[in-house]
Amino acid sequence: MESFVLIKQVPDQSSKAGINSDGTIDRAKAKRMLNPFDRYALEAALQTKRQHGARVTAITMGPPPAIEILYEAIAHGADRGLLMTDRRLAASDTLATAYTLAQTVRYAGSPDLIFCGLQTTDGDTAQVGPQLAERLGIPQVTYCEAFEIRDGILLARRAIEGGSQTVTVPLPALVTVANSAQRLAYPTLRGARRVQHLMRDEAARAEVIQIINLDDVGADPERCGLKGSPTIVAATEKVGEIGGNCQVFQGQSVPSLVKSLTEAASISSYSYAGAR
Amino acid sequence: MVQKRVLIFAEQVNGELQPIGLELLGSGRLLADKLGATLSALVLGSDIAHLPPILIGHGADEVFLADHPELAQYRTLPYRRVITDLIKSWPEPPHTILLGSTTTGRDLAPRLAAHLETGLTADCTDLDIGPFEYANSKDPSKSGLFPDCLYAIRPSFGESLKARILGPWKNPQMATVRPGVMVPLAWDGSRRGEVFQVPVQLDPSDLSLQIVETVRNLSQAIDLMRAEVIVSGGYGLGSPEGFELMQQLAACFPNSAVGSSRKAVDSGWIPYAHQVGQTGKTVRPQIYIACGISGAIQHRVGMDKSQTIIAINKDSSAPIFKFAHYGIVGDLYQVVPEMIRQLQQDQSQPQANLSERIPVLQGH
Ligand SMILES: Cc1cc2nc3c(=O)[nH]c(=O)nc-3n(C[C@H](O)[C@H](O)[C@H](O)COP(=O)(O)OP(=O)(O)OC[C@H]3O[C@@H](n4cnc5c(N)ncnc54)[C@H](O)[C@@H]3O)c2cc1C
Ligand SMILES: Nc1ncnc2c1ncn2[C@@H]1O[C@H](COP(=O)(O)O)[C@@H](O)[C@H]1O
Repeated sequence: MESFVLIKQVPDQSSKAGINSDGTIDRAKAKRMLNPFDRYALEAALQTKRQHGARVTAITMGPPPAIEILYEAIAHGADRGLLMTDRRLAASDTLATAYTLAQTVRYAGSPDLIFCGLQTTDGDTAQVGPQLAERLGIPQVTYCEAFEIRDGILLARRAIEGGSQTVTVPLPALVTVANSAQRLAYPTLRGARRVQHLMRDEAARAEVIQIINLDDVGADPERCGLKGSPTIVAATEKVGEIGGNCQVFQGQSVPSLVKSLTEAASISSYSYAGAR
Repeated sequence: MVQKRVLIFAEQVNGELQPIGLELLGSGRLLADKLGATLSALVLGSDIAHLPPILIGHGADEVFLADHPELAQYRTLPYRRVITDLIKSWPEPPHTILLGSTTTGRDLAPRLAAHLETGLTADCTDLDIGPFEYANSKDPSKSGLFPDCLYAIRPSFGESLKARILGPWKNPQMATVRPGVMVPLAWDGSRRGEVFQVPVQLDPSDLSLQIVETVRNLSQAIDLMRAEVIVSGGYGLGSPEGFELMQQLAACFPNSAVGSSRKAVDSGWIPYAHQVGQTGKTVRPQIYIACGISGAIQHRVGMDKSQTIIAINKDSSAPIFKFAHYGIVGDLYQVVPEMIRQLQQDQSQPQANLSERIPVLQGH
């Protein structure tokens, strides 16, 4: 069985580094991290490895430093990685990204299952997964919280408004994994050792992590990057972080904590006492 | 002349229209009027002939109705097939297509957009029509002045930036719209509109996904939307009994209600009607008190327009402290009783007729 997991490196917005004063992000300076939603997708892919012996391939499209998250995926137990990187990919919107990823997936093999995160924290669209499934012509299960595979059939539970839905679908299929699914476990010792080895040994790394560009996967550059993107961000406007600087009370006795808070937030004016 | 259209997708569940459909009509009406376009509503389901008059009364000029047993419940591929077949049967694609950013809309819209090879903006909070002039030396073929573009406006980067996203080069220009943001038009029974039956031709491969079971708990709406003060409990309550404490705190305020996170609802501690968030209600009270709620993005989008957000959480690194205005780091089982005590102490008047004045206590 072949499981692919699509992961993206995103700016770490909790760190101040690289966050411009107008709120935009300087990607070169920003701290980078694995998209938190993709951790759930990786865990789901690793579940297929534990339960069905699947080979897990982590795929990312991004600038060269994105190789870091492939190492991270391998430390957690992924078997191999592909980095799609190419200057012509700059300014890709979701349609162009999904096209490039579809070509990359085809190049990488024929997966039984493709796992995506629910959304990214920078693109924040939740569109790339379904767009990729459409391009590949396979069914999808979005918002998946739990699943099992029996006789080539995926049985999955999805989160929906007011409840959940259980569906079955024959493989191959694409699954977007909800952040209410199983959390990613810690990296394995074996995985961490493997990464250390790969970082030291160029030849070994090349066997496990492939770095590819648009020409390798036969992608049409006109359909990628800025040219292949039907949308652009025309303007951004700062709206001010809501709340933003939370006034936090801690460390005192509970009665004084509560007193400080109710006074600061003038809660009492809304209470029966205040309504008098 | 070819007809210009603004098309909205109206969701139904068990034959009942979902509020998002009427919200999209309200927003779509403004766009269609600016464009001089027809406002068209599209609804798919089984035994749903009763829905078009509702859509027309709320602003649609025409309704496309796909009524077929295989469409009773939403599934990606059959819906994708019927809608793309319909759009491709028209001489011109619609100018704009709007869907809700519900779990259904966000499942369907990207498949439609990829199939139609067109742009899609996710989770918009504002829409408009206006001109756009574009010049980019890296991509000169796209340069030009475009008089009537869809302005798709959405929060981005942790909601501290608003982005205006445009794609005037190709129609349809598509967007999903956050539920609870757009305002429906008042019902007007005198409005007239046309109804068209949509042919349904499915491929066997469209039916490969089967729904085994759908569990929904769509109990009646409680008055979360009108409450001045909302006391919300999350998984940190640890048990259903925790909501009694939430009720007691809510009872300190005359116009109050009890809300919850999805995890508390999913644990069976409180009915779905109390859920705040992406798949629950969008609320904007004067005061929102979140007790034992971590502040996941899907909860946040339902409550971050509240005037004052207060968080009580024992974990100082919980994301809720990133956007709350005031917070206490501590055990809610110590903090909340103390808060109730202090609020009651402030108060000399006896609390008569509590259940009459506090919506949440009714029906319990
Ligand atoms: C498609 C989809 C839609 C969703 N829609 C929604 C939605 O509409 N609304 C929603 O809320 N969620 C929604 N979610 C779920 C969301 O991602 C989170 O899982 C959920 O909001 C978490 O709920 P919680 O904060 O109650 O629980 P947790 O994240 O488990 O947080 C519990 C918090 O309680 C704190 N705590 C524990 N004990 C105590 C104590 N004694 N005192 C004080 N603090 C304590 C902990 O520190 C923790 O921060 C959705 C998810 C998906 C995938
Ligand atoms: N550049 C990328 N490389 C690999 N996977 C991606 C990329 N962009 C998006 N994805 C996948 O698509 C999901 C949804 O992303 P988005 O549509 O940006 O919210 C992510 O969680 C990833 O699984």
